[in-house]
Amino acid sequence: MTTDEQKAIESEIYAFIGQEVYPPTPAADDINEAMIRQWAEIMGDNNPAYLDKDWAAKSIRGTTISPPAMMYVWGQEGFQVTKGRALNAMSNLVSVFDKHGYTGVLGTNVKQEYFKEVNPGDNVTIEMIIDNISERKTTGRGTGYFFETLSTFTDQRGEKVGTQRFKVLKFIPQEQPSAVATEDKLDVPTRIASPRGHDNKWWWEACDDGKVLIQRCKSCQTLRHPPRPMCGECQSMEWDSIESTLDGEILSHTEIHHPKIPGYQYPLVCAVIKLAEGTNFVANIIGCSPSEVHIGMKVKGVLEQVDEKTMLPQFYPA
Amino acid sequence: MIANVKDKAVIVGIGNTTFSKDSGVSELSLAVQAVKAAIDDAGLKPSDIDGMATFTMDNNDEIEVARALGVGELTFYGRSHYGGGAATSCLHQATMAIATGMAETVVVYRALNGRSGHRFSGGVAGDITTADAIHWGWYMPYGLLTPASWVAMFTQRWMHNTGVSKDALFEVAHSTRVYGANNPAAFFYGRNFDRAEYDAARMIADPLQLFDCCQESDGGSAVIVTTPERARDLKQPGVSVLGVAQCAADNQEQMTSFYREEFAGIPEMETAAKNVYAMSGLSVDDIDAAVIYDAFSPIVLWQLEAWGFCGYGESGDFVKDGALRTDGRLPTNTHGGQLSEAYIHGVNGIVEATRLVRGTSVNQPAKTVNHALVTSGVGIPTGGAILGKMD
Amino acid sequence: MKEYKTLTRAEVAVGDKLPNADIDITTGLVVCGALATRDFEPVHHSKAAAQAVGLPDVFMNILTSQGLMTRFATDWSGPDAVVKSVDLRLGAPNIPGMLMTVSGEVTALDKDSGLVDLAVTGENNIWGMHMQGTVQLTLPKES
Repeated sequence: MTTDEQKAIESEIYAFIGQEVYPPTPAADDINEAMIRQWAEIMGDNNPAYLDKDWAAKSIRGTTISPPAMMYVWGQEGFQVTKGRALNAMSNLVSVFDKHGYTGVLGTNVKQEYFKEVNPGDNVTIEMIIDNISERKTTGRGTGYFFETLSTFTDQRGEKVGTQRFKVLKFIPQEQPSAVATEDKLDVPTRIASPRGHDNKWWWEACDDGKVLIQRCKSCQTLRHPPRPMCGECQSMEWDSIESTLDGEILSHTEIHHPKIPGYQYPLVCAVIKLAEGTNFVANIIGCSPSEVHIGMKVKGVLEQVDEKTMLPQFYPA
Repeated sequence: MIANVKDKAVIVGIGNTTFSKDSGVSELSLAVQAVKAAIDDAGLKPSDIDGMATFTMDNNDEIEVARALGVGELTFYGRSHYGGGAATSCLHQATMAIATGMAETVVVYRALNGRSGHRFSGGVAGDITTADAIHWGWYMPYGLLTPASWVAMFTQRWMHNTGVSKDALFEVAHSTRVYGANNPAAFFYGRNFDRAEYDAARMIADPLQLFDCCQESDGGSAVIVTTPERARDLKQPGVSVLGVAQCAADNQEQMTSFYREEFAGIPEMETAAKNVYAMSGLSVDDIDAAVIYDAFSPIVLWQLEAWGFCGYGESGDFVKDGALRTDGRLPTNTHGGQLSEAYIHGVNGIVEATRLVRGTSVNQPAKTVNHALVTSGVGIPTGGAILGKMD
Repeated sequence: MKEYKTLTRAEVAVGDKLPNADIDITTGLVVCGALATRDFEPVHHSKAAAQAVGLPDVFMNILTSQGLMTRFATDWSGPDAVVKSVDLRLGAPNIPGMLMTVSGEVTALDKDSGLVDLAVTGENNIWGMHMQGTVQLTLPKES
C-alpha cells in the first residue's frame, strides 16, 4: 500500500473518533430476575447474591444484585440483528475499512469496570462512542488498525454504573487466513470410533441405522456379544441376529473423571448392562446425575447421534 | 545339559483352510476354521485344547480364538518371535509345554490375510483390523479407555457383592506407602501419607481415586535365572522357582471380561494359584510374604482371595487386621509396590520377592521368609510364582 | 438456609492459586450462552454462519467468556465479594467438543481496601488460550 492510499483511509477513519454509536438509550427491560436466572443457570453460577432473596436480605448488601458481567446484556439490540444491524457510526466505520480491503475482523480485548452494583428493578442506559483508533499496525493476522469503543452505563438516577472498552482489529487478511492454514487443527474432536472388520462391521452399520443387534447362532440359537465368527457352544459358523429392545439392568458402573478425552461429554458414566435378552453390554448412562446410577438400576437404551460422526446406544433410567 | 523331551509330545491332527488371494473373511475366521479342522482330524473336541502356540506376528489373540471355538480355559499360550523363523519354534514351545505338564493338548496355529489384508510387500504401513483392535472398539466410543476405568468397573461390582469398603482399599494403599516411605529407591521415599490425603485426592474413575492408582515410571528391572547346579557356585544364595503358572480363563477379554456369569472375580488367577500350589507341593499356609501385583489397590485384595489367604469377600477384614504389615500374617509389597516404589510392569516385584527370600528387603519382616509369592497383573490372562530358598 | 463462605482479606495472600475449573464447551453452552447474553449474532447459533467465517462450528461469544470468568472468580471468593473489573484478552475460539480449563492466581492484594487482582486464564484442550486477563474484586474485612 502506498503512502497515498494510507493517507486516504486514515483521513476517513480518524474522522470517526469521538462519534456517537449509540446515543444514551435506556434498556427495553428493567433488570429482572427472569433474565438473571437464565444467565446464571447457563453460566453455572450459583452465587446467591444474584437470586437467593432470603440469603441476600441478610447479607451485607441487603438485597439481590444483577451479575456485573450482565451490564452490557440489558441494552443488547435483540434478535433483529440476525437480519442486519442498524446503520450507525460503527457500521459506517466498518464499511470504510471493508471498502479499503480491511475486511478481517477480530475482537481482541474487552474490559468492563463496575462503579456500583445494580438491582432488579433498576434500568441501565447505554451510551457508546468510538473512543480511539490506533495507528497502522502489522499483526500476526495481517496489517490493520485497532479501534476501540467506549460504552458508558448509567442507572435511572443518572448514576454511573460502569464502562466497557471493546477493542477490535480490522485488518487485510493474509493470503492464507489462519483458519485455512490450520485446517487440520480445525476438526472438532469426536468420539474414538471402533475399527470395523469382517466380524463387527455389520453390527456397527446396524448401529448407524439406529439398531442394536445381538448375534445369534443359527444352529443352537445361543446369543453372543460381542460378535465373533464361531459359536462357542456348538462351533457353528452360521449366525443371524435379533434386535435388542434395549431394556436392561446395570451390573456395574464407573464415572470417568480423569483424564478427560476431547470429543467426550462429561460427566461421563460407563456401565455394564445386562440386556433383557440375556447378553451383557457396555454403554453410557445418561439422563440422570452420576450419583444416581447404581447396580440393579433398570435402564432403557436409545440410539442417539452423540456427535457429528457417531451413533451410539445411550441408556437412560427406565 | 540335554532337554529330556523325547517322546513327550506327538502330533495327532492336521488342518488347512482354503488357500486364496482374497479370503473374504477375517483372519480370526481363518484361524478358527484351521484349528477346528485339525481338532476334527484328531477326533477331539474344542474343550480338550488347553494350550496354544503361535507367532507374535499373528494377529489372532489366543483368547479370541479360544472364545470363538468354545475352548474354555487355557493354561498354556506361548508366542515365538521373528517372522517365518517361528514356524518350528511354535512346535518347540508346544513340546516343551507338554513335556513339563504345563498343558496337555496344545494347538499350533498361524492364520493371515497376507494378500487381501496387510501385505508383507507393503511393509509396516496401513490400517490393520485385528481382533484385538475390534475388542477395544466395544469400549472406546463410550469413553471406557483407560486401565483405571476398566478396573473401576470390576471394583464397583466387587464392592457391591462383598460389602468391602474403601477402608480396605486405603489399607492397601497405606501399607505400601509406609513401606515405600522407608525405601530410598521408592517414589514415595520419605513422604507422609494419611487418610485425609487419600480421601481428598482427585477421583480418577469412581471408586478409584488418585492414591488407588500406581505410579507412572521410567526405569528397568531384571532378574537372572540359571540352573541349580550353576547357582550353587555363585555369590548370592539361590532363590528357586518352586512353581509357576499362567492362565487365561473362560470368556476372557483383555481388561474387559464383562461377559461372564459373574464378572467381579479373577478366575484366571484362581487357576494359576491352584496350579502353582500343586507344582510346588505347598499350600497357602506355607507362604510367608508376598509381592502382589498392584497397579491399583483393589486388585491386591482380589488376589489375596484367589490365592486362598481368605475367602471371597473376606480380604477387607484380612487386610484391616494388619496382615500386610511387617509383623502381619503376610507382609506384602515391602518395597512399596507399584503404588509407591515404581511401575516396572511387575519385574521390580520379582526383584523384591527374591530379596524377601534372601532376607535383604529394606522392610524385611522379623520372621524367616522361606516362601514368597509373586504375581502378575490381573484383569488380563495372568499368573504367579512361588519362590523359595534353594536346597 | 444455605450458608456461603466469603473469603476475608486476611485469608488471602499473593500467590494463592484458585481451584481449577473444567468447563465442557458444548453446543448447548455456546448457543444458550449467546442467548442468555442476548447476543444473536448468527455465528454463535448457526453452524453454517460460523463455517462461512472459517470456523468449523458455532463459537462462544465474548459475553459468555466474561460471565464464565466472573463466575470463576466469585466461586472462589464467595458472594460478599464485589467485582470491580474484568479485563480480558481474547485468544482462540471455544468450539463444541472442547474442554476449557480455567486457572487463576492472586497477583496483588491491598489489605486496607481489600482490593484483590486475580490473573485468570482459560485454556481449551485443542487450540490453547481462549481468554486471559485480570478480575479485580474487593473482599470484606471480616465475614
